[in-house]
Amino acid sequence: MSKSLINIAILEPSQIITEGLSNILLKTGTYSKIFKIDSLNEFNTKLFGSQIDIAIINPNQIQNKLKEFSLLKKSLPDTLWAGLVYTFFDQTLLAQFDKIINITDSLESIGELIHKIKNADYHSITGNEIEQLSEREIEVLKLLIKGLSNKEIGDKLNISIHTVISHRKNISQKTGIKSQAGLTIYAISNKIVQIEDYLT
Amino acid sequence: MYRTEKYYIKAEMKFSDLIFDNPSLLLLLENLELDFITGERTIEQVCQENKISTAVFISIANLFNGFYPTGEEQFSSADIPTIIKYLKNAHNYYENEKYPEIRNCIEELYKKNSSPEIQLVGKFFDEYFKEVKEHLAYEDKVAFPYFYKLYNASSAHQENEKYSSNEYHDHHSDIESKLTDLKELLLKHIPVKDDRIIRRKIIISLSDLEHDLNIHSTIEETILIPIVSQLEKKIV
Repeated sequence: MSKSLINIAILEPSQIITEGLSNILLKTGTYSKIFKIDSLNEFNTKLFGSQIDIAIINPNQIQNKLKEFSLLKKSLPDTLWAGLVYTFFDQTLLAQFDKIINITDSLESIGELIHKIKNADYHSITGNEIEQLSEREIEVLKLLIKGLSNKEIGDKLNISIHTVISHRKNISQKTGIKSQAGLTIYAISNKIVQIEDYLT
Repeated sequence: MYRTEKYYIKAEMKFSDLIFDNPSLLLLLENLELDFITGERTIEQVCQENKISTAVFISIANLFNGFYPTGEEQFSSADIPTIIKYLKNAHNYYENEKYPEIRNCIEELYKKNSSPEIQLVGKFFDEYFKEVKEHLAYEDKVAFPYFYKLYNASSAHQENEKYSSNEYHDHHSDIESKLTDLKELLLKHIPVKDDRIIRRKIIISLSDLEHDLNIHSTIEETILIPIVSQLEKKIV
């Protein structure tokens, strides 16, 4: 699960600062992809449809484009918008951002920012006790590896398809395993099911 | 196998230096059918002599060094043959070398640890390998010929073997996620029985493959597909 890719876009006119920041970001040890862009509207055109997780922007770039910026934020609600500040800016301008990175910040604090984003996706799998499957999830898992469809599982356990899907999602997140064949092996290794049922 | 501290490769660097620095680039040379004994020649010279696109070579080499394309690189339709040559040879490497190598290791593993789980891992891998082969064959037989047709800009593109980059992406994420499943199982769940050494070899092999597949799909999705969709627009 540690391999979740983070897409980062940098909108900063100074090449030296962009390069330096890219280097720092790559060194945080996160599996990330960095896009360098030249203007706000490139968010829609240049990024090949990639979901941008973090956008780091020089506040100058939105100075007279507040409307455009707030539309952009609305169209990309899952992106974290960070302002990269190395000179004085008006407080109202800075308030447009979710987070401020100061040029004097320590390298660690940038790393923390990235790790926070990353963990936001996977907060449910930190800590050992949460990794245990719940009783209900184990029931779903047992039926799942018998080859039952979501609907059949739902009927058997008297729950909706949506609930089945959400259990499946949790099972995959907790175990790190997505495929049915992989989950079967997981269940045998962890003695959730008997081997004899699955070897022919 | 990849390291984190690498330099960014540029056209005027000496060709032999970069391989010395990162030997996993040898695979890149193999896929592009380039010799590695190149004397004092620069990357640009070697690429030109071999009619390989320098821009593509540099982008892929940098991927091996851990740098993703920035989107600022200028590629053109003239780069298509180089990209396809790379991808096709990489397919060959997966099918005839890398996957069989892992398959053999799993057999060795079973000799050391004849548990039902390992037996199922073997089955899992065989089914997975079959899927991978189907995907590679699809690209070789449908996708690449279609790109070549576009490249030759013949009117033949009306044949309508329409091909979608989304489909590409789904296939890839599936291939990569099953690889992750295998790693998870071998590293976290299946009990170890006197099989540490062979298990280490498998895990390292799986990680190498994972890294290489990641480069492979990045090339397709961020270099090849954008060129192709531009071409499609031009022709239609």
